[in-house]
Amino acid sequence: MSRRKHILENLDQDIREHIEAETQDNIARGMSPEDAHYAAVKKFGNVTRVKEETREVWISVWLEQLVQDVRFALRTLRKNPGFALTAIFTLALGIAANVIVFGVLQALVLRSLDVPHPERVMTLEPTNKDRGIFFAYPEVRDVRDMNSVFAAVAADAVRNFGLEANGTTRNIWGYEVSGQYFEVFGIRPLLGRLLEPADDDHPGASEVAVLSWPAWNSLFNADPDIVGKNVRVNKHTYTIVGVTPRGFYGTEKFLQPDIFVPMQNEAELEGIDWLESRKDGYVLSVVRLKDGVTLAQANGDLKTIVARVIRQNPKEEQTLSVKLAQPGLMGDFMGAPVRAFLIAVMALAGIVLLAACANLGSLFAARTADRAKEIAIRLAIGSSRWRILRQIISEAFVISILASACACEFAWIALTNLSNWRGRAPVVFAVQPQPSLLLASFVIAIFAGTIFGIMPLRQIFKADPNDVIKGGSGQSSAGRRWALRDVLLAAQIALCCITVTAAFVALRGLHKSLNADIGFKPQNAVVTKFDLSLAGYSKDSAEHFQRQLLERAAQLPGVEAVGYANTTPLGMDASTEVFFSREVTDLRRTNEAFVAPFFCVSPGYFNAAGTPLLEGRDVNFTDSAKAPAVAVVNREFARQMFHTEHAVGQYFKNQLGDLVQVVGIVADGKYLFVNEQLQPAAFLPIAQRPDTGTALVIRSQADAFTVAAASRQLVHDLDPAVPFEDSGAWSGQLSLQILPAQAATVALGIFGAFGLLLSITGTFGLASYTVSKRLRELGIRVALGAQAKQILSTALGRMLVLLGSGALVGIVLGLAASRLLSYVVYGASAHDPFVLAAVIATMMITGILSVAGPVRRALHIDPAKLLREQ
Amino acid sequence: MSTKEQRERIELLQGTLDLLILRTLLRGPVHGHAIAKAIEFNSDEVLQVEQGSLYPALHRLIKRGWISVEEGTSENNRRAKFYKLTAKGRRQLAVETGKWDKLAGAIARILRPAEQEGES
Repeated sequence: MSRRKHILENLDQDIREHIEAETQDNIARGMSPEDAHYAAVKKFGNVTRVKEETREVWISVWLEQLVQDVRFALRTLRKNPGFALTAIFTLALGIAANVIVFGVLQALVLRSLDVPHPERVMTLEPTNKDRGIFFAYPEVRDVRDMNSVFAAVAADAVRNFGLEANGTTRNIWGYEVSGQYFEVFGIRPLLGRLLEPADDDHPGASEVAVLSWPAWNSLFNADPDIVGKNVRVNKHTYTIVGVTPRGFYGTEKFLQPDIFVPMQNEAELEGIDWLESRKDGYVLSVVRLKDGVTLAQANGDLKTIVARVIRQNPKEEQTLSVKLAQPGLMGDFMGAPVRAFLIAVMALAGIVLLAACANLGSLFAARTADRAKEIAIRLAIGSSRWRILRQIISEAFVISILASACACEFAWIALTNLSNWRGRAPVVFAVQPQPSLLLASFVIAIFAGTIFGIMPLRQIFKADPNDVIKGGSGQSSAGRRWALRDVLLAAQIALCCITVTAAFVALRGLHKSLNADIGFKPQNAVVTKFDLSLAGYSKDSAEHFQRQLLERAAQLPGVEAVGYANTTPLGMDASTEVFFSREVTDLRRTNEAFVAPFFCVSPGYFNAAGTPLLEGRDVNFTDSAKAPAVAVVNREFARQMFHTEHAVGQYFKNQLGDLVQVVGIVADGKYLFVNEQLQPAAFLPIAQRPDTGTALVIRSQADAFTVAAASRQLVHDLDPAVPFEDSGAWSGQLSLQILPAQAATVALGIFGAFGLLLSITGTFGLASYTVSKRLRELGIRVALGAQAKQILSTALGRMLVLLGSGALVGIVLGLAASRLLSYVVYGASAHDPFVLAAVIATMMITGILSVAGPVRRALHIDPAKLLREQ
Repeated sequence: MSTKEQRERIELLQGTLDLLILRTLLRGPVHGHAIAKAIEFNSDEVLQVEQGSLYPALHRLIKRGWISVEEGTSENNRRAKFYKLTAKGRRQLAVETGKWDKLAGAIARILRPAEQEGES
């Protein structure tokens, strides 16, 4: 290094002396001193280039030039703060959009569990979608006992618990887990011990519980002596034996469990015993693959096990099928739509970035055109074209890197807010920003910088110094040819149109899901939900409690109607059941009529919920366990089961094979998801199907908050140990259901706004550039008597063509893309005339807004003044 | 710089300049301008180097260790850098000269087969 420096240090002097010596020689040959010097310089060649090439021998001059270029770029940007800020802000928005979406994608899809060897932890999932996502506990137990490929197999079930500690009862979320659960993850406890197979050996084997880190922290103030303390879970005393480490949150990324208890104790906690039932699924399952076992081997082993289980239990297990799936989002059940949505949003974010690049690209191209003369001069005095291009690219990179820094800031704020957001427990978005996002942002910035940096490439390589310098300003050609920036503008408008269309489609979808006919009227209704099993009630004692509550609630002032059910439609916890037609005698799943959601309702429930009773009668309290089984069904149920809408008096069979008579028909509605297809549903009298789950529905014109408080007081008066799951206006509780639509609308709305902003700045920029370039020509036209209309068509005619064609292409692409969106957003339709009209109107307003300024300028040209000035 | 005069001169082949510099230095340490002059003079002014291109070539040779630099005084008593052939450079010159002779001979045989035969 020092040798190099020493040698290079005197290069200037060497060259000077060389030229001096040559000059002396020339003088000796008889030239005049001036001629001699001139001849010597000429003979030497381009001094600067020689210096550069000489230095280049020692280092790749690259680095040095890079520093120079960056300095130059910073200087240029400082001189043009308006341009610099616009460019940085535009790009920062584009990059931030991508980083945020990538951050969410990373947190929900790409990030693995924080446990040793997370790649070996998998979940089991039914291959057959009709079975839902849950397994019956004996099925998981069979896999545990028969397999030869898993190091550990465990079942887990997410449940609501009533936790009494420090004198208060809280409604918390937790996992009932089977014995090998913590072996699956291989984690070490933060305090005490975790649950072990011995704890889960048989019902009542041990009454111990493990707390999660967040619960220990927030509910017990991180009490270091927590191990050994007693709490009450659903009125049963449990001893806390340990706390899980901080990064552990079970397997589901949307859930934040508070407590882990042995699954064998489920009957005492839940009030129903399903441990030996193969009929219904209640549990999820996690497994750890043995070292060296491949997925194919494991799936093969599972197939053998399934065949054996079906052979041993042909009646119940006929449709059993198991495969391995990635843990995190309830396997592929939620994983698939979440991934699809994120990929769609990622694509839109990419489009926004491309639009921003097109925007900056045309800005750069315009700037390069303005600098044509400077560039020509530099070429003429011997600069290489590569060097000039590099300088412009450096400028682009400086802008993109500054923008990426801003974008990181935006993304950090957005993601931190999102992950601190707490909806209805236990739903969380664990999307804390990770440092790797910095890298992502940097990569995106370099990518973007390259794209818009090379836009002026052709201009520089085509530039002929002779032409430009001779032709003066080069203005004459500016208005004639279709330039790259024109194409870029059209492309940008098209891209923006896509985002705007997507935004409107999502908005429309949200609007529709808010106004969808859901079969009940959440307005003016208050729902108070609680589960009496959490306070130690059995199904029979629950019925007494519920009847008392109903009587008291009817006495509340201002109440129009009141009723209760085990749960409400769209309440996220509705159950489904198999239904058979009355002719079926062999109750195999293959003979089923359909699987449909069912609700256990009290008399008056339909009135309170605002569900229209179309035919027949409501259930009543005389439909008791001793009376013949009856049901109210929705119209779709009647249509599918009896092929008529007038089915009152007909019979069907329930999953036990009992005959049930239809006594009433209610209107169709939505039961599990807002975006579900029309489906059958049954309402059974709660006196015949008692349930500890209670959703008290009160219809009243009074303020929802007051009514909710009054209803909670009623429950509290009956038993202060009952923890509430939810209590408030029904429409508020539905918000979780429309959350996907809302999230989509917000995300897409932001992208749409980005898109609009970009197209406004892009159009405005190009229009004012065109007008200012051709100001002189327009002045002459005005002087020669051109009319306003002619001036406009000369000045901006092409702009309008560009706007129109860009928008047209964009709308077509946008509508095509919206087809994909309709999978995610309920009610989104690509062929919605409202969407089409809204997009066209928006684009027209955008166009008018952005060209208004330049148009004014073109129309107010004062030729006399203008020509004098030039 | 596209005068007619320059067009009649022969442009140097890539790498030839290095060879010429090494050959010039065989006679002893020389400074930059003198190298250029020597090349022109010895070739009867047919080979006229754009003198500037000498410097990248010199530095290339230094970097390869074929020549070295030392401070000295020029004819007109100025301090100047003198370039000197190293032992490695000497060997390299032999190799390069051999290569060049082969190449020149081969090209000559292709271009003037009759004369070659006549001479031998």
